[in-house]
Amino acid sequence: MRFHVVKRDNWPLWKRALAYLAAVVAALVIGAVILLAIGVDPLDYYYQLFTMGTVGNKIAYKTYMNYIKEFLPLAITSVALSLAFKMRFWNIGGEGQFIMGSISAGYIALKFGASLPVWLTLVLMCVVAMLVAGIYGLIAGFLKVKFGTNETLMTLMMNYIALYVLYFIGETKADWNLFLQETSSRPVFVNFSDTVAFPTIKIGAKFELNICFILALIIGIIIFIYLKHTKQGYEVSVIGDSAGTAKYAGMKVNRIVLRTVFLSASLIGLAAAFKVGTAGVLSTAITDDVGWTGIIVAWLAQLNTGMIFIVAALICVLQHGSTVAAATYAQVDSSFANMLQGIILFLVLAADFFIRFRIVRVKKGE
Amino acid sequence: MDKLGVITSFIHNIIVFNIPLLYGTVGEIVVEKSGSLNLGVEGTMAVGAIFGYIFGCYANSLGVGILVAFLAGAIFGLLFAALTVSFQANQNITGLTLTTFGLGIYFFVGNSVKSTGWPVMADYENVKEGFADIDIPLLSDIPLIGRGIFSHNLLVYLGIIIAVAVWWYLKHTSLGLRLRAIGENPAAADSVGINVNRMKYIHICLGCGIMGIGGYYMGLNMSGSFNSSCWINGYGWIAVALVIFANWSPAVAIFGTFVFGFFNTLRVSGTSIAAAFPETLGWLADIPAQMYQALPFIITAVVLVVTSIRNKRGSSGLPAALGLNYFREDR
Repeated sequence: MRFHVVKRDNWPLWKRALAYLAAVVAALVIGAVILLAIGVDPLDYYYQLFTMGTVGNKIAYKTYMNYIKEFLPLAITSVALSLAFKMRFWNIGGEGQFIMGSISAGYIALKFGASLPVWLTLVLMCVVAMLVAGIYGLIAGFLKVKFGTNETLMTLMMNYIALYVLYFIGETKADWNLFLQETSSRPVFVNFSDTVAFPTIKIGAKFELNICFILALIIGIIIFIYLKHTKQGYEVSVIGDSAGTAKYAGMKVNRIVLRTVFLSASLIGLAAAFKVGTAGVLSTAITDDVGWTGIIVAWLAQLNTGMIFIVAALICVLQHGSTVAAATYAQVDSSFANMLQGIILFLVLAADFFIRFRIVRVKKGE
Repeated sequence: MDKLGVITSFIHNIIVFNIPLLYGTVGEIVVEKSGSLNLGVEGTMAVGAIFGYIFGCYANSLGVGILVAFLAGAIFGLLFAALTVSFQANQNITGLTLTTFGLGIYFFVGNSVKSTGWPVMADYENVKEGFADIDIPLLSDIPLIGRGIFSHNLLVYLGIIIAVAVWWYLKHTSLGLRLRAIGENPAAADSVGINVNRMKYIHICLGCGIMGIGGYYMGLNMSGSFNSSCWINGYGWIAVALVIFANWSPAVAIFGTFVFGFFNTLRVSGTSIAAAFPETLGWLADIPAQMYQALPFIITAVVLVVTSIRNKRGSSGLPAALGLNYFREDR
């Protein structure tokens, strides 16, 4: 008896949703077994994790505010990456582009924060971060178009080049280095949150909603419309399906690739500007790995803009919740969240296979 | 330290600190030659490191440590192969997740063991002595370079042997030729009767196992002191870069390891060299450490661009089907 793998016609949505749900539940069960093995009550742990310790907590609003701070950069970065992925352009360089955006936004804040009006500084931060990150991403795009340079490997290298530029800035005391505090003998980043910070809207007694949250939703909607209902968005999906077809249809493939890569990278720059503008200070860990996690989020959401926001929100619960739960269970630190994230993704990828393919038994003699 | 001593220890350090890169690189070359781009080198080395170290200590045997590290890496390879070869999952995503997953396991297992009592390498004679330097007779007595090049631990020699063996395997055996054929064009390889999936499984596991040993080496080299930063510390990513620098050849990878290692070691001992030779090499002390750290990636980026320009003439070792899944029914 032999088996044979065949592509499946589209499964109805509920069946697909059920398959993914089953994968996530199975992953949580595996996680529970691991927790039991080290003597942690899995139900209570998961409860702490998924509520992020907010139930019955008087300062729960703080948790929500911190959560949104983590969620925003990840959501925007994931949306940005999905643009490039739709075109089968493997922009692994989210980290590098985010870092370049952060450095330039930080530079603007420190250089002009004291002299310009706050709103103008913020706008400048966004624009410059977008330009710098966009150009940084465009390098790999240009090389791909011009020489066929593998963009996965190229953007990967550029991540680390950017990272060490950031380390250099963060660890070198010098006259030119306006990023570091002059008074401190150790290298410490200057805090600029007193002069430059994104405004917040007060909701209820204590909760303050950062304006970036609303901007991120607007960006999400714009990108959704851009991909689904504009000519440029259509071109992106045609190239993703087949660059040959696009060329045959008379599209200027190279130009579209460059345009989309720039857009993708510059949106990551915007995410960085939001991050820097809400954190109020640069740090060597400014990216929080969103460039990496964003790749996984975009893929898990199958490059669907709406789904990206949901998946990003869930991943953030996992990451943020695990640090909260670690306060109760000292033996389970945030490394457990990384493990769980891995197990979930592996099982979802496996579920994905059964959604796309079916296995057929081949009878003898056929 | 006397001037000659500085040079000797510099040469010694280039090798001793950077051979893990060679393991990671040779492992990744085996994987990539089968047409799979595994971005999970960092995570694979991390699981090899943690399991190899812990079991090696518990068994008080370097051999057990090497074996467990290999197996842990190979199991990660099996996971990667199952997902990308059988389940047709995207290789980039799977590889990146393997890294997150592997680092998660590293810290989770490490912290769990630490809470019950961390095995200290010095307490395990056989591991400690197994990792001690072995002098190669006569050669190690050569002045200046002898102690630097011909006096190393067992895993250094093993790494070089593996690299040479893999080079020979890829270049001069029929199995190696078949493997390269799969990396270039799996459909064509399939049509001449090569079992593509089986070959991919075997070589992905083999390559990842080699990476695992490299991870174990790093743990031993840190004397097994477990703290908040991972033993692998980015070496897995440098290995991904080194594969490109080496143009997918394990023999060139040996050379590449020493080139990358040279800069890596300058970062650490640049100041002591500058102090030993103030007139000629004093300027070394002024180069920022981050420059050395970025250099492997800068060099690789340049190499990547240059090879892609040359690639049009077909002289690159980049497997043509790298990163693309092979779905048999699409033939």
